[in-house]
Amino acid sequence: MSSLNIGGSQLDASWFLLLSAVLFGLGAVGVLVRRNPLVILISIELMLNAANLTLVAFSRQLQNMEGQLFALMSMTVAAAEAVVGLAILVDIFRVRDAEDIDDLSELRG
Amino acid sequence: MAIAVFFVAAAIAVLGGIGVITFHQPIRSVLSLVLVMLALSVIFLLLSAQFVFAVQIIVYAGAVMVLFLFVITLLGPARELGRGRLRYQGWLSAVFVLVLLGLMWTMLQGVQYRQPDKADLNFFGTVQAIAVGLFTTYLYPFELTSILLLVAAIGAIYLSRKHIDEL
Repeated sequence: MSSLNIGGSQLDASWFLLLSAVLFGLGAVGVLVRRNPLVILISIELMLNAANLTLVAFSRQLQNMEGQLFALMSMTVAAAEAVVGLAILVDIFRVRDAEDIDDLSELRG
Repeated sequence: MAIAVFFVAAAIAVLGGIGVITFHQPIRSVLSLVLVMLALSVIFLLLSAQFVFAVQIIVYAGAVMVLFLFVITLLGPARELGRGRLRYQGWLSAVFVLVLLGLMWTMLQGVQYRQPDKADLNFFGTVQAIAVGLFTTYLYPFELTSILLLVAAIGAIYLSRKHIDEL
């Protein structure tokens, strides 16, 4: 247990990690259950955000800036991922409707 | 005070996360995700990450999510159809995610926190502190992200161009 002194009150570092785990789990459910490719991308963004929260929480606990720097890098990667993923989706939707990701299974081995 | 702020923000974030995976219209999922991001930005502020807080709101909630909204309005209101082809998909995913959460919970029980460095918390998380890290130790990764963004931009333009043979 490691409590952080934030504005005079003691918050435990594991609370932040627990919140991050719950958000990551919700994102994982979204990726596994939903079948609209857009919603799957949104759920992936949710998981990336949860990972960012872990990085920032550990950065604060260790009082070391590197966690925040890594969170910024992961935001950059998330933005690039969203741009390319959405471009692929728009390209697919132009040819046909792909409301169900199971319809896009031609590439399977 | 900080405890109350944390729990309110955490509750909003979890509710938004549930909204992301339960709403049937993608546009509501995106708006729920914006809610999650705003709640998380409050938590970043609690963790004295001011610059990450600002970037979270401007870049993430402001830019990336607007991109999602544009694409959804471009593609029209797609509603999710009925059941998929996989049987027991919901139950299997629930079991998988519960196992995943259990794993993370056990990891949290055994986590050994290192003694913190004695950083100056007035300086911690400011733009200056971020810049010192980005432009000294992590200069190469920082410059490489510019190439990554360039590649992503070129790729997106290439993918979303008009196909010549269709015209």
